[in-house]
Amino acid sequence: MPTVDDVFATRLADLAVGFGANVQPGQILVVNAELGREQVARAVSDAAYRAGARHVEVAYSDAWVRRARIEHGSDDSIGYAPQWQVDRIQRMGEEHVALITLEAALDPAATAGLDPARLGADQSPVRQAYLRLVVDRLINWCIIACPTPEWAAQVYPELDAAAAFDRLVADLAHVLRLDSESPVDAWTARFERLSDVARRLTERRLDAVHLRGEGTDLTVGLLPSSCWLAATFETSDGITHHPNLPTEEVFTTPDPARTEGTVRSTKPLLVEGSLIEGLRVRFEAGRAVAIDADANAEVLRARAGRDEGGSRLGELALVDGEGRIGALDRVFYSTLLDENAASHIALGNALTAAVGDEADVPSANTSSIHIDFMVGSPEMEVDGIAGGERVPLLRNGEWQL
Amino acid sequence: MAAVNDERGQRLAELLVRFGANVQPGQVVLVNGDLDDRDLLRKVTAECYRAGARHVEVDYLDPYLQRSRVLHGGDDAIGFAPPWEFDRVRAVGEAGCATVSLVGGTDPKVLAGLDPDRLGRDRSPVGKEWLRLTAERALNWTVGPAPSARWAAVAHPDMEPAAGLERLWQEIERVCRLDDPDPVASWDERMSMIVAVGRRLTERRFDALHFEGPGTDLTVGLLPSSVFVSAGDMKTAHGVAHRPNLPSEEVFTIPDPMRVDGHVTSTKPLDVDGTLISGLCVRFERGRAVAIDADQGAGMLRARAAIDEGAARLGEVALVDGASRIGALGTVFYETLLDENAASHIALGGGFDFGVQDEADRERINRSEIHIDFMIGSHDVSVTGVTRDGERVPVLRGGAWQI
Repeated sequence: MPTVDDVFATRLADLAVGFGANVQPGQILVVNAELGREQVARAVSDAAYRAGARHVEVAYSDAWVRRARIEHGSDDSIGYAPQWQVDRIQRMGEEHVALITLEAALDPAATAGLDPARLGADQSPVRQAYLRLVVDRLINWCIIACPTPEWAAQVYPELDAAAAFDRLVADLAHVLRLDSESPVDAWTARFERLSDVARRLTERRLDAVHLRGEGTDLTVGLLPSSCWLAATFETSDGITHHPNLPTEEVFTTPDPARTEGTVRSTKPLLVEGSLIEGLRVRFEAGRAVAIDADANAEVLRARAGRDEGGSRLGELALVDGEGRIGALDRVFYSTLLDENAASHIALGNALTAAVGDEADVPSANTSSIHIDFMVGSPEMEVDGIAGGERVPLLRNGEWQL
Repeated sequence: MAAVNDERGQRLAELLVRFGANVQPGQVVLVNGDLDDRDLLRKVTAECYRAGARHVEVDYLDPYLQRSRVLHGGDDAIGFAPPWEFDRVRAVGEAGCATVSLVGGTDPKVLAGLDPDRLGRDRSPVGKEWLRLTAERALNWTVGPAPSARWAAVAHPDMEPAAGLERLWQEIERVCRLDDPDPVASWDERMSMIVAVGRRLTERRFDALHFEGPGTDLTVGLLPSSVFVSAGDMKTAHGVAHRPNLPSEEVFTIPDPMRVDGHVTSTKPLDVDGTLISGLCVRFERGRAVAIDADQGAGMLRARAAIDEGAARLGEVALVDGASRIGALGTVFYETLLDENAASHIALGGGFDFGVQDEADRERINRSEIHIDFMIGSHDVSVTGVTRDGERVPVLRGGAWQI
């Protein structure tokens, strides 16, 4: 297994612990890591204990264990998890833990050839429990990109394995700003800019946002008190954290009953290991009434059909051309990176943090799923609609505010 | 080579799941092992699902995380476990799960150079909750070996890595009876023999066992209703037969924690959570280990033996005859699962409730957070049963049963 150098692992770990999750002395830190990410997980453990963590629990997951269930498990094993797994997440909320997830694209071989219906239905109730912690702001959490050979092979198919891995490490060091003298200072400056944009967008009190591009003509209605945020969060205890690293987006919560038109995804989308290409979705009165794709549309249809909110929008996010990810012009097959390369929407659960008025919170979408897909491109024109008037928001990837 | 080990791994996985844990349809199975053992863990997982498991929860264990904690953690991090781990054990017991644990040597580098006192105290308090489930016979569980390059480097340090791993695989296949045409039939036969020996030992109602050999003169008192148990006797409270260890060659019982006297020299090195202890010599007075010495690693064992009141007293005494396939190999595996089945042994720490018959004796069983086996038997160590009237009955001579 190729390894990253210790300096990279340590810088990434320090950023995740000290800035991303912002682990506090005495806190328990839970690290979610797929197998193959041990080296970075261990560096995160070192960094967290040095920061005074009470305990570090690394929960390793394995896509091949899941494959064994889909392949060999009985029907009643699909989508089942013992209650104690759900209770554990609730306890993590009560304990106000910190959480770091090491993110990478999964090895497609782990899901190749599996029954898509079983795969789509195999959704653990644990996910729902995690969403609860996030919505209730009980934990300071961070999802951070972590290089793996399997991921590198997907992103750079033209390179041999070792070169592809080195290239991914270099690209991640760049987009995570680990190549800055102080990664934390670099991120602080970028967050100031995004927060400023978000403040101006919120001040416009937009009723809807209109996205226009190739194959896309979509109007996304907003709630009366929808506000725009950069990805800086604060827990109910007042701990500031940065839930996604890297991040380049400003986002808001749409009205789940007022999305109209068609949208075409501008990047392939990975859903639990299945690659969905050429995705086209038609919305009527907020609902995704048609989901089509060149490949694997049924995986997304199964997910969207899980509950009532699964086929409505929970997020609208805008990304400008200044982000470091879009400039690389690569498909990373990972939502964490790809969603920060382009504007996007998400089917499923809403983050109520982006709803200003308590009274609007019940109107925000709820679901057990949250699936982002990229709809933006430099050519896409984004307008805001307020009081029947149109104002340009993005042209050629530049803010018009 | 990879394909060969694939087939070997599949046979080992089937033995552990079907015969060892005896996974029942609809059960939730907990599977755990080292990150390095992922190939076998995945095969075990698939086999559990084929056996009808409702869910398989795999815990990948990373020994480096302990190093990280002992090196960088504050004092309040040592020996701490999050509350949900206790909740999980309770729920697992109530659900009546199966468990399959893979073990196999520890990379000595992982814990090298750590403060032995911090390391000794860094023991998860959840361990005793698991021991309680075992005592209550709540789970059908098994512990089996997972051959790996890591383990081969420890067990066969003088061999070239590929050859060492191949030797280890052959040894594991031999001692797990996977080289027999019908491993389960072979195990049934061996376990029936050991069960019969256990029954005869129990019938004699010995008051004590006396071990004599080079560096050893130890009398281990037994409780009035101590019974000699072996893997072939094991059933959950719900009646599911399972084999707690594969391989298993021992017949064991519960000592009287107040009546152990004399001195004992361990006949094999042992590995306690990554620390090697060799040349171990322990002196007991009225049941208590009053002196623990060793050529190497004594500090670690002393720290463990001081964890609670029961940690310096015995919770198990086990006899192994010379027909053990493990003993015949002569390899030191630095892994209790195998080494303890090579030779007779005793364990510091907690004992199992099912090792006594009478309710009254149950309260006298030693209780502790720890359970550390160490080997005291060999062909040169004779074992004699002492009856209440002082009659001495030969039990093992030159490794052969006399009973």
